[in-house]
Amino acid sequence: MEVMGINGKTRIALWVIGIVAAAALVAFLAVFFTRFEAGKKFVDEFFNWRVFEKTMPYVARGLWVTVKLAVISEVCILAAGLMVAMVRISKVKPFRFLAAVYIDVIRGMPLLLQIFIVYFGLAYMGLNLSQFVAGVIALTICYAAYEAEIFRAGIESIHKGQMEAARSLGMGYLKAMRYVILPQAIRNVIPPLSNEFIALLKDTALVATIGLAEVFFRGREMMGKYASVTPLMGAALCYLIITLPLMRLVQYMTTRLSMKD
Amino acid sequence: MSGEYMVEIVDLHKRFGFHEVLKGVNLKVKPSEVLVVVGPSGSGKSTMLRCVNGLEHATSGHVFIEGVDITQHGIDINAMRQKVGIVFQSFNLFPHLTVLRNVTLAPVKVKKMDAAEAEEKALRLLERVGLKEKAEAYPAHLSGGQQQRVAIARALAMDPDLMLFDEVTSALDPELVKEVLDVMKDLAREGMTMMVVTHEMGFAKEVGDRLIFMDDGVIVEEGPPEDIFTNPRSPRAIDFFSKILSHL
Repeated sequence: MEVMGINGKTRIALWVIGIVAAAALVAFLAVFFTRFEAGKKFVDEFFNWRVFEKTMPYVARGLWVTVKLAVISEVCILAAGLMVAMVRISKVKPFRFLAAVYIDVIRGMPLLLQIFIVYFGLAYMGLNLSQFVAGVIALTICYAAYEAEIFRAGIESIHKGQMEAARSLGMGYLKAMRYVILPQAIRNVIPPLSNEFIALLKDTALVATIGLAEVFFRGREMMGKYASVTPLMGAALCYLIITLPLMRLVQYMTTRLSMKD
Repeated sequence: MSGEYMVEIVDLHKRFGFHEVLKGVNLKVKPSEVLVVVGPSGSGKSTMLRCVNGLEHATSGHVFIEGVDITQHGIDINAMRQKVGIVFQSFNLFPHLTVLRNVTLAPVKVKKMDAAEAEEKALRLLERVGLKEKAEAYPAHLSGGQQQRVAIARALAMDPDLMLFDEVTSALDPELVKEVLDVMKDLAREGMTMMVVTHEMGFAKEVGDRLIFMDDGVIVEEGPPEDIFTNPRSPRAIDFFSKILSHL
């Protein structure tokens, strides 16, 4: 089989070159990290097995908090995002305007700032929320704005003849939305929404700044205790264990959905 | 206004921005009448049709369906629309539902019909349009002619008193036009009141009780199809029919 004009012999040659180059790189790194002072120091700092062994169980326990925070937030975000999107496309101008303002203001501010405003702002108002609840609220407020835009794009991508057909059968606006428009729109937005969920999962680390003992918080805590970067690498591993398979899943779903069209 | 007419349009105007598409249309359609609407593109015939089921709002004037003014504020437009079925040029079937569920959706969700009863009725209608065996297929797997016949069954499932057809064969390959027209002819014979926007002059001649020729937002000529074809009076109608009929 000819791929882009590359014949079999050239392909084998390219493979050989690639393998040789990769082996050379590995060898170079191995020598650097085991024979040179700077390299050895780096490994000791970042990949210290003794520290890893001691701190990993503690850091990994934060994963449960991270996942719980992401999943509970995501449920709230999907509901809020869909609602904001519906308001954003409603025929009542003031409503539409308010939704647009919300979406733009929220997207124009750092999430970190929003977490602080929610946690400390509500505390000043006498509402002493747990860091977890404050985290859910802040993440929902922020991500609902992004996901509202995704929902809106999904709804607007459905041909207007669909709404007309549904309405002309006597369905009200909301019934037409529920039975005709949204089932089609949601199918279209599953891939982008999944990507948002992956982003959310990583952004839960920001809630550590108000003291929630999730993965990153625990990693940083152990970094201080053991004066080593290794616990942070453990935290990184925790995120990757979840995000890497999720990314593959999204890729798979996206191809499956586009194949159906 | 009495309920003597199925549809009564009084001095209907429709403007899109600065562009006036309908410039005072007056029209009455009797029960069981088949009205054919012809005219050059941009003449306002589709817009008029869409005003009859409220898909477009009249800028001024009135549209009465069975004596009820649907341009009035506070009218239950959803209830009115159940009496008026429409079939579109672009089919607009619901692609995420099977043929059967396309037909049963509105009866079940709007009329609160029992699901089993709705299915039985849908299968009867699909049989009538010759597509019973496609009940479980999705619209994407049907030809244009089949999709359009499903769209007709879907509209009929609401038991409308009036059916609107908006250039329903214009998007079809020539060899698929007949199967759709045949369904419409059957419907006309059974006494359905129909308003049909079409370029199919053969259909107009065969089943049309009356034909109106529209141009530039008004009705220019009106009468039995045969008469207007053979003896159009206005220059615009003469020009239009000479172009269209020369193809036949």
